[in-house]
Amino acid sequence: MDDLPVRYAGVEDSVNRVPVSIVWEITLACDLACQHCGSRAGRRRRDELSTAECLDLIAQMADLGTRDVGLIGGEAYLRKDWLEIVSAVRAAGMECGLQSGGRNLTDERLAKAAEAGLQGVGISIDGLAEVHDEVRGVPGSYELALEALRNTTRNGMVATVNTQINTRSMPQLRELMDIIIDAGATNWQLAITVAMGNAADRPELLLQPWQMLELMPLLAELSLEGRERGLFLQPANNIGYFGPYESTIRNAIEDEIHWHGCNAGDTIFGIEADGTIKSCPGLPRVYAGGNVRDKSLREIWETAEPLAMTRRRTVDDLWGWCRTCYYAETCMAGCTWTSHALFGRPGNNPMCHYRALEMDKAGLRERLVKVKDANGLPFDHGEFEIVVEPVPGRADDERRRDRILVGG
Amino acid sequence: MAEQGRVAPRLRLCRGCRQFVVPDRPDCRFCGGDLDLLEEDYEARQAAVREAADDLRRAMERHKGMAGRRRS
Repeated sequence: MDDLPVRYAGVEDSVNRVPVSIVWEITLACDLACQHCGSRAGRRRRDELSTAECLDLIAQMADLGTRDVGLIGGEAYLRKDWLEIVSAVRAAGMECGLQSGGRNLTDERLAKAAEAGLQGVGISIDGLAEVHDEVRGVPGSYELALEALRNTTRNGMVATVNTQINTRSMPQLRELMDIIIDAGATNWQLAITVAMGNAADRPELLLQPWQMLELMPLLAELSLEGRERGLFLQPANNIGYFGPYESTIRNAIEDEIHWHGCNAGDTIFGIEADGTIKSCPGLPRVYAGGNVRDKSLREIWETAEPLAMTRRRTVDDLWGWCRTCYYAETCMAGCTWTSHALFGRPGNNPMCHYRALEMDKAGLRERLVKVKDANGLPFDHGEFEIVVEPVPGRADDERRRDRILVGG
Repeated sequence: MAEQGRVAPRLRLCRGCRQFVVPDRPDCRFCGGDLDLLEEDYEARQAAVREAADDLRRAMERHKGMAGRRRS
């Protein structure tokens, strides 16, 4: 397993709760206006950490055994001291990457970043030009993102593409793969758009649970083809779970790797730009364990109750379909973020391939219906209900006409 | 640190249908195959693939060596 990137957590890391990988929002300022932005980024937070506070936090991360720090925003490069942060992360012995929309990642900017020690850049590309520009809210942002990708490889850094999978981008994934391979990407991280922040206001963007039946074979096909062409597909934690393609899509080195539950608060955590520590960067503040302005990072990591939610979760905490699922003990209802954004609590996740397959066998499918709007704040969410309905076109459609509400 | 992290129960990959199963019974829940027999068969095929790859590598090295001698 020595060939795995350092951000991959092993069993020992899980047992010892080593915060292997940290996702750090260093500013909420952003130069894009994405329709699906969970943090509703745009303006910087009023009270973002100072440079001195960031440097102190980096030393605390290293002391906890962190191996990989991913800088995000907003748009991380809009912080004037972002390269100082990169240098400090590297000087502390950790790897450092940047996740970016790529609107202003010029060759010059990336050359300086490489010089500062930045090792990898993930550029968000959410479909072909028209779809990307619309979803990202800025005309021309697609071309700029592709140029940023080329600039990344030109400057010797690992080039990753991050793609949100939603109703607009899913039909374009195949074509997009060809384009990003040509532009030099070697990694492709794919995540399903979660109903948080701006995405909660646009339910038409969100995949429906039954679309997992289309998505998973597609991802498996792209995984295999990508690997042959030098592109490594990395499904985010909200893609899965089980079914016949689990091994294919999650295969890093050996094919017995499978989803093993949300590891937020055990081997990863997120930091907001004001120093708030959360078990997962996508989660709302109800999962915050504290702020590094009030307590040390170690104290928060080791004692904060909200960070313990995944390691203490049991099957009894699950509900809905997930409560009695065959995979419940291992899966623990998949991605906490996805469930929380839909229902305001974890433990039942309809965005699941195995679940969709089992539903389909019974001639049923699940449909998410928004019943409450989000309040318009960063990391907020609305509320959804699950409608179980007959698969349209099946012979026994009529007999199952009655809708059954099973969640929400 | 007092509290350890969660380590999920590991599942077994059925070499017949490539679905993961809880290792609590000898047959696959999905395809009904004998998990041990399928694993043995898989290991045998993997060994054959490795052997063929080694043969190919040795043949290529021999060919490279011969080509090098011809050039010199």
